[in-house]
Amino acid sequence: MTWRPTALNVSFLTVVGWALFLAVLTGRVELAVVAVPMVFALVAGRRTGAPPRWQIDRTLSTTRLLEDECVTVTVTLRAERPLPLVELLEPLPPRVGLERGSNHAFFTLREGREIRWTFELRGAGRQRLRLDGPHLRLWGPLGLAAAESQHRAPATVAVYPRHAPVRHPPRPLRTQTFVGNYVSPTQGEGIEPGDIRPFAPGDQIRHVNWRATLKLGTLHVTQHHRERNADVVLLLDTLSEVGPDGETVVDVAARGAAALATAYLARKDRVGLIEYGGQPRWVRPGAGRAHLERLLDTLLSASVVFTYVNRDLDLVPPRILPPQALVVALSPLLDRRFVRAATDLAARGFDLIVIAVSPVPAARAAAPRSAVADVAARLWALERRAALDEYRRRGLSVVEWDGTGPLDAALAALGRRWRRRVLAG
Amino acid sequence: MMRLAAMVLLAVLAALPLAVRPSFPPVTWLATAALVVGGVGVIAWSVPLVTAAGSLVLIAYALALVLAGPAADPLAAIALGSILVLLLALVNFAGRARGAALGASVIASQVRQWLAVVGLGSVAAAVLTAAAAPLGVALRSATLPVVVIAAALGAVLTVAGVIALVAREASGGPMS
Repeated sequence: MTWRPTALNVSFLTVVGWALFLAVLTGRVELAVVAVPMVFALVAGRRTGAPPRWQIDRTLSTTRLLEDECVTVTVTLRAERPLPLVELLEPLPPRVGLERGSNHAFFTLREGREIRWTFELRGAGRQRLRLDGPHLRLWGPLGLAAAESQHRAPATVAVYPRHAPVRHPPRPLRTQTFVGNYVSPTQGEGIEPGDIRPFAPGDQIRHVNWRATLKLGTLHVTQHHRERNADVVLLLDTLSEVGPDGETVVDVAARGAAALATAYLARKDRVGLIEYGGQPRWVRPGAGRAHLERLLDTLLSASVVFTYVNRDLDLVPPRILPPQALVVALSPLLDRRFVRAATDLAARGFDLIVIAVSPVPAARAAAPRSAVADVAARLWALERRAALDEYRRRGLSVVEWDGTGPLDAALAALGRRWRRRVLAG
Repeated sequence: MMRLAAMVLLAVLAALPLAVRPSFPPVTWLATAALVVGGVGVIAWSVPLVTAAGSLVLIAYALALVLAGPAADPLAAIALGSILVLLLALVNFAGRARGAALGASVIASQVRQWLAVVGLGSVAAAVLTAAAAPLGVALRSATLPVVVIAAALGAVLTVAGVIALVAREASGGPMS
């Protein structure tokens, strides 16, 4: 750690130079005397004493949080030799706000003393928040010399997309073989009662329906429906985005995908994810808490990657996009390639629901408010409504979501048509 | 609080030339200009502006001394130099600490440190002045060329020091 003169020396030298110059010019001794305390200060300011010694440690309250949640950063500094003035600064990455305290502080420490400096950071958008470690600057007397150092302790905080709970996610048309929460039409082990039939050898006594037995005079048993799970694949459109940083349509779609993944995994379904963009990525359908974190990690880095290469969903292996899966697409429907891909999926027999994330509010947030912008936004909204009606006529199940209201309310617009399809299936 | 203290120091600084030669327009204008520039510097916590104000005060002080021609007053000069040191140190610290959290006793410790340096500087100035008085009498005939040569040497060293400092300044990191 080396001490370096600060810019304040230039100011002192300038004033000293003026004083000496005027003293010579006017022949007045007072002007030379004015310079003496300043020259003394310049000399004293370079005396930094014994090399400073300290111990510094930085801890984070969590390494994972949701958007708009806070992480508390605690820096502990212990002086092994006196530190007359120490400045600490933790540089903040973009899209991170200070919720409480300050990321910049000054302290004075005596020998053997310790300070704990805390502040709270708020992640303003999904991201991997990287903190490299606090910078430390020791100040000499009068601020005329300074020595800098950095405590390198890189730490990453994953800021996952925030999501409101979805109570009624669209029910899949087809179920799979694993145990889940959906009542299957097939008979077997389960808790949902089905038909009643005469007792046959091998039936368990606990399945005997005593009321029917007494009424009909012979032993009858109650059959049960099996409870099965389903495969759900979330298809995230990252071909295009609109809106201010942190509130783009991709951010809104990621929040919707996170909410749906949480809801379906809570129902014991297997959930997969396909990021359909310039650089397609996917996560194989799976279940459980660890899988939810895998999905959220993938959503964390979902972003628009520009490329001239046009990749199709045909490239996605069947184990990622199982034929019986319910596909929930989240897209602003701004790119024709995604519309074509969704239409192809529906034509290939996939159960497809398209959640059209409206880009109008995001675009309005990014543009300055004006009467012309208002009219343009209304016209755009009308055009989108007409386009969505056209997609519905083509057979796609499309609901529009503006990203601000609850996803449940938007999904309720699927209405009877989807429920009828579920019952028919 | 720190801004108020800096304003008080600046006002005292600007009043010193006026105390030497009151109600003389050029001195008053220079002192007023120093007050305005320094006031803006204090409001913005800008060390360069306060340095400019300090330089203006020195020019006004020199002009007042030449015009009034009073007997040498080293105490006022020591006070002027000490206040300049305090003002520059205060503005520099306040500018650096703007928006930052200040730990307990930071300001008190800084003020103690500044006053110690200024006090020792004032004592040094008084000792040098006291020592220079008999020396000046003894070397009256040789004083002028020696002073001129020393001042020229001092000016050259000052410029060299400024250039060296500017060249050695860090190119700027997260803390600059």
